Amino acid sequence: MIGPARVLGLLLGGAALVATPAAAQFGAIDSIIGKAQSAQRIGDGLRKINEQEEIKIGGDLAAMLLGAAPLIADPAKQRHLNTLGRWLALHSERPGLPWKFGIIDSDDFNAFSTPGGYVLVTRGLFERMRSESELAGVLTHEIAHVARRHHLAALQQSLRNQSLSEMRSYFSVSTGSSIGDRFSGALLSAGKDLYARGLDKDDEYEADRIGVVIAARAGYSPWGLPGVLQTLTATTDESKYGLHNRTHPLPLDRLARLDAAMGTRFDSLPDLVDDLPGFAALRKPPAPLAAPPGPKPPPAKPGRRRP
Amino acid sequence: MHCARVFLLAAALLFAPAALASERGLTIRAGDLYAEPFSDAKKLGALTPNQPVTIVERRGGWVSVEAGGQRGWVRLLNLRLEPAAKPPAGRSTAALRTGSTGRTVATGVKGLDEADIRSAALDHAQLARLEQLGVGDDAAKQYGSANKLKESKVAYLKPGKAP
Repeated sequence: MIGPARVLGLLLGGAALVATPAAAQFGAIDSIIGKAQSAQRIGDGLRKINEQEEIKIGGDLAAMLLGAAPLIADPAKQRHLNTLGRWLALHSERPGLPWKFGIIDSDDFNAFSTPGGYVLVTRGLFERMRSESELAGVLTHEIAHVARRHHLAALQQSLRNQSLSEMRSYFSVSTGSSIGDRFSGALLSAGKDLYARGLDKDDEYEADRIGVVIAARAGYSPWGLPGVLQTLTATTDESKYGLHNRTHPLPLDRLARLDAAMGTRFDSLPDLVDDLPGFAALRKPPAPLAAPPGPKPPPAKPGRRRP
Repeated sequence: MHCARVFLLAAALLFAPAALASERGLTIRAGDLYAEPFSDAKKLGALTPNQPVTIVERRGGWVSVEAGGQRGWVRLLNLRLEPAAKPPAGRSTAALRTGSTGRTVATGVKGLDEADIRSAALDHAQLARLEQLGVGDDAAKQYGSANKLKESKVAYLKPGKAP
């Protein structure tokens, strides 16, 4: 802050001493300062953004994911996910973020999070959970990515050479700024790369270790997440698990690392919850409308009535 | 009487951990089969690596299995699932695949793959809906107490010895 202001003062002082047409001088100086500012790169600046700025980036990335798969229209399930998610997030390092959780309309098995506290799970994942502690494991893994700002660290690498002033413009103007739009476009492109490619493996392992702890703090069995990873060890169905499996380390590797980190440390925790009836009812896929075709009952023989 | 029994059975099915009957697993490492889901329980026998088991029940960090004609408990973290041709829940995969991107093109099964993300446009109307789904701390705490979720102080884990 001090730097540019002082430089501006010096330049203006110099301009006042040389008595040439003031407007022309100032115009030239503005242009020079403008160029100097636009030449400044983000560098490590993305690491230093404040919480409101982080939420704006996260909101746009969530809007991008929602553009690929919209929310399902099922208020009871969305409410359950948000209540559970908020309860879990209260046991993380960042309980004060405006956490939002959503089920998106895809039969795939996957979950996403974006900076600032947005967490999305697919309908296919929600329905395939064996228990509430498994859902808690998925949500706490995503909460850990947000709490530790894993996505911001990854985006930082891609956006390092973007203009700092364009990023400032993106943060300060809500819509309609063509300068902000330039940063917005770069962010969207970097975000698509990130969600198609995945985070660092070490970030995934860390989110696993943090996730099981947050679940246990909140009263859930920490073995929900290992249960989900176990499900993934059987996945050969490329169509539903493909994107997840390409963007994460191998589930057997994650299980082995969790085993090494967890050991018997959770064995003595009392009264951990595996499942709750409210979620057991919600995750059941709706019953088919018509009864499945079975063997037809033998036709009634005519003419033989009971008296 | 009959009705009551049917109802109880239905309730048991409803609240049972989902569809375990068909799950088959393999041990990851050598380990023990325990009589009960505790590490100081009586050991019933030894399990070899990659030993096939049938999963009967899950309870916390333990899984009840049938292995080599015996039933007992193994640690969840020492079990993988047998790779299946179909997803574990046995749902149909009525989708056609096309080309190398593996995009789902037909019959009502919606996938979400890299191509969907690459081509996605920002949907701020959907984001506005998502913003409205959030609940406050009070509702979350109410959920915790209504379901008797017991909070504990648990320290974060250090990475274990790399496998």
